[in-house]
Amino acid sequence: MGLIDRTRGIFVGPEAPTFLTTKLDFFVNWARRNSLWPMPFGTACCAIEMMASAASNYDLSRFGMERMSFSPRQADVLICAGRVPYKLAPVLRRVWDQMPQPKWSISMGACASSGGVFDVYSMVQGIDTIIPVDVYIPGCPPRPEALIYGLMMIQEKIRQESLNDHYALRSEDPATVARPRAAGEELVGLTGPFGNSTQQDRLSGLAVTPAAFPSDDPSSDF
Amino acid sequence: MSDESRSGLDAVDEGVLVEGAASPYNEAPPEARNDHASVAALYQRFGGAVVRHQVNAGGQHVVFVDPSRSLEILTWLRDDAEHRYDMCSDVTAVDYGAGRPVNVVYQLFSTTHKRALRVRCELPLDALEIDSVMPLWKGVDWLEREVFDLFGITFRGHPDLRRILMPHDYAEGYPLRKDFPLRGRFSREEQTRRALNQDPERFYIPEEFEVGGAVQEVRLPPVNVTAAPDRGTTAGES
Repeated sequence: MGLIDRTRGIFVGPEAPTFLTTKLDFFVNWARRNSLWPMPFGTACCAIEMMASAASNYDLSRFGMERMSFSPRQADVLICAGRVPYKLAPVLRRVWDQMPQPKWSISMGACASSGGVFDVYSMVQGIDTIIPVDVYIPGCPPRPEALIYGLMMIQEKIRQESLNDHYALRSEDPATVARPRAAGEELVGLTGPFGNSTQQDRLSGLAVTPAAFPSDDPSSDF
Repeated sequence: MSDESRSGLDAVDEGVLVEGAASPYNEAPPEARNDHASVAALYQRFGGAVVRHQVNAGGQHVVFVDPSRSLEILTWLRDDAEHRYDMCSDVTAVDYGAGRPVNVVYQLFSTTHKRALRVRCELPLDALEIDSVMPLWKGVDWLEREVFDLFGITFRGHPDLRRILMPHDYAEGYPLRKDFPLRGRFSREEQTRRALNQDPERFYIPEEFEVGGAVQEVRLPPVNVTAAPDRGTTAGES
């Protein structure tokens, strides 16, 4: 490629004059998919595999995930690695809401994708009930190759995007910020009698818990 | 089913405790009390308040005491020179279900005498209250909060008794109780809605925010210059 010589107003260099034409879609997608900065949201053992993926043996930076962005405002892809309890749900939702568009998300491992073995009182049954998910990676935990493959699937997804679809893909409704993403019926469906070896339902119970928790009263502060 | 083939889990599921039935606890014979100096002393000093004594696997001596006198007994165990249990490594609780009392468990260790002792208090389900041992061991602060959070046991005198693991506005009960359904009492929809409505900043009190805030100034005690030995002279020289 040549350079512009400002004094003479012409291209200079051995191959001048040269220039490059391309589709804007291709160029933008090329830039986006080769500089995906992950926002690590590691909560459990999947995070260990995520760290291994970033370390020298597997070296995520080869694919453009140059650094783990520990600030959501400078990140492109959220990697939720591990189980998310209900207490952490607003934190995950807030991290996702803080990330600027365009953004993607990966649900890494069985627990993030579906709750996994934790079909219990404290655990979010899949982070897709809280935030949108682009790629689900199966495994308990997935190997680093699987995470890299998941990130490459996101790259492939970006490659097929067009700026024509930008607003359809990227507009966000402020009313849904910090709200559940899944519909109520979807969440109720998750409570079906599957995978639960204890055969308990919510109304059974050997006895009734006697006293209500004092802070259940919304008017009390703690 | 013969008694020999019963496992510990069968006993948990056998239903409501029958009055007058043989004790389900594997009580140690009275002569075993002398194997552990503190157990023997407890029987001698607090005879009426000591309910029973077990020796668990690995030679762990367990003393069941009257919960209404637990603070008095634990204070004595910590302060008496012969025992001096200066470390409380764990406070936890066990719910055996079927209407049995909930046990509060104190795991004590004496760094002076290199001796361990487990003290348990049985609380009936309708009176889940016990004295806090915060005045004795400051480190039990969060342990007692955890027991309160997950079992609903109130620790009288605890300065900051609020939930620690579950969200502060958790309204489904006490998750480690046997009567608690595995998936909680609310539907998944309601649980998700409540989860996203919570404000994570409200989990903390202002003092806790300060811990991670500005760098604390380290205050060393002032050096007492006049008390420092004068290196120029030695005793008797003056």
